[in-house]
Amino acid sequence: MGVLSDARGYVAECWQAWNRFWFGAVDPATLSLIRLLAGTMLFYTHLVWSLDLQAFIGQEGWLPVEYIRRIQDQQWSVQSVFFYIKPVWLLWTVHLFALVVFFCLMLGFFSRIMAVLGFLFAVSYAHRVSPGAFFGLDKINCMLAMYLMLGPCGARYSLDSVRRLRRGDTQPVAPSTAANLAVRLLQIHLCIIYLFSGLAKLTGENWHAGTAVWWALANLEYQSIDMTWLANHPILIAFATHVALFWELFYCALVWNRYTRSLVLWMAVFVHGGIALFMGMITFGLAMLIANLAFIKPATVRRWVGPVADRVALMLGGKTVKS
Amino acid sequence: MAKFEQKRDAQQSAKPAQPTARQDVKRPNGEIGWHPAWRWMVSLLIVVHVAAVFSAPWDLSTLAALPPGYQMGTDNLGRQVSLPPMDSEVWQQPIVPRNLRRFFRHYLNLMYLNHGYEFFAPDPGGSNLIRYQIRDSGGQEIAKGQFPDLTQQWPRLLYHRHMMLAAQTGEMGPESGRHYAHHLLNVNGGHTIRLEWLIHALLSPKQVADGTPLDAPQTYLVLANIEETAGARVGPPPGETSVTIPGGGR
Repeated sequence: MGVLSDARGYVAECWQAWNRFWFGAVDPATLSLIRLLAGTMLFYTHLVWSLDLQAFIGQEGWLPVEYIRRIQDQQWSVQSVFFYIKPVWLLWTVHLFALVVFFCLMLGFFSRIMAVLGFLFAVSYAHRVSPGAFFGLDKINCMLAMYLMLGPCGARYSLDSVRRLRRGDTQPVAPSTAANLAVRLLQIHLCIIYLFSGLAKLTGENWHAGTAVWWALANLEYQSIDMTWLANHPILIAFATHVALFWELFYCALVWNRYTRSLVLWMAVFVHGGIALFMGMITFGLAMLIANLAFIKPATVRRWVGPVADRVALMLGGKTVKS
Repeated sequence: MAKFEQKRDAQQSAKPAQPTARQDVKRPNGEIGWHPAWRWMVSLLIVVHVAAVFSAPWDLSTLAALPPGYQMGTDNLGRQVSLPPMDSEVWQQPIVPRNLRRFFRHYLNLMYLNHGYEFFAPDPGGSNLIRYQIRDSGGQEIAKGQFPDLTQQWPRLLYHRHMMLAAQTGEMGPESGRHYAHHLLNVNGGHTIRLEWLIHALLSPKQVADGTPLDAPQTYLVLANIEETAGARVGPPPGETSVTIPGGGR
């Protein structure tokens, strides 16, 4: 009986912990900040397609749709609106509509609807260029858009919140279970990304040898700031390589502990900031940093963003939300 | 949970509800929300989703393996022959990740989650470039260039998209190069085009310290050439391609 009741108690405790983890209501400040920044990234990323839209997204171009569909094995689950658009005027119309959607998501205007449309468009563009011109940025963009759909991403820092103020609703923003769920899923997804990115590096000899960072920095096509002066400092290269690998491998464990979380997140700033600055992948580096914001507590986000957001709300809505 | 429900009921009866949808505005941070049945259902969806997210990189990071101590065959001269073909039964397949990803594949595709996340893995390597030269029917050069090219493609993201085109042609096969060729002919006009697919090899710290520039000519190695004529049909590989490997006899 004792064993049974202990087991029952253990299961009950686990269920409570599970509920607290996934279904505890939180302030949607973190999710809202991620919407603002991810919306900006989505808008910019897709705006850049405008510079050569037909070549990358059109029916023909670099890789014709018919060829891409064949490479994708004609799977019904790989879908893109651009597989079906033939006239150039329609391609541009849909593209401009998508840009409006991403812009509205960035501003937080009809946020939930725009988040759903934004996700559908982000996947549409990504499938059109996979394989071909896709890279890590598209994966992270789609991931961010997917989780934004799940929660009240426009509850703060948005035109939606200004519209509420203008209607005279100055009540504090409600803690939200859906916001927690969205952020938790993003956190878990990020842990899976870093874990497998680290495990994949374990199969590379240069990551073991401590030279991989050199080979990344010595790539002229990626390089945006010349770091080849490191050739004379092999110990720095080795240190950076080993630290980056261990950080990726243990991110999924250390980021949950309150004592190691800040260290892990600062490492993310250095690693992704380094990729953005030195390897020319500004968008990808920033997208990963935006995803890492999922581990910033809503109270911290409000402390950082609140004063500016209040000023903007006062300017646009004439009032601020009660805290 | 009953305690929580009672507490919430008491709060709701004590205070009039807000006229907006934010009726749970007084729910304190961390309080568990939603009806238990709803939570059970969402929990199930969470498990399915996380399993799917996990399955893609897990499968892509696992490799089939030969049994320990497997002796590879030898040829008449006693030299070891290459590995057995991938469809050989001797290979041990990682069946759990393979089947898991196969089970979730349509969900993974629909949500654009079918990735390995192998950033700079297993090892950072050199970049691919494609150089091209277009001629008219008289053989006169009318355009040439390369991609990626920082002087032509701006902003950096557009440059990076072109870099991916050059990089991913290796995975897609020669037909992708032929499509690039015809796209360039369509854009620039001309009768024939010659594409060179190159890899820009990386220099070691010692080579750089000794003064070799990263763009030294010997670091550019041609992997394949493609020659195309305007109007030629590009389709599935019929068994022969116009790709030639330098030094390979064509």
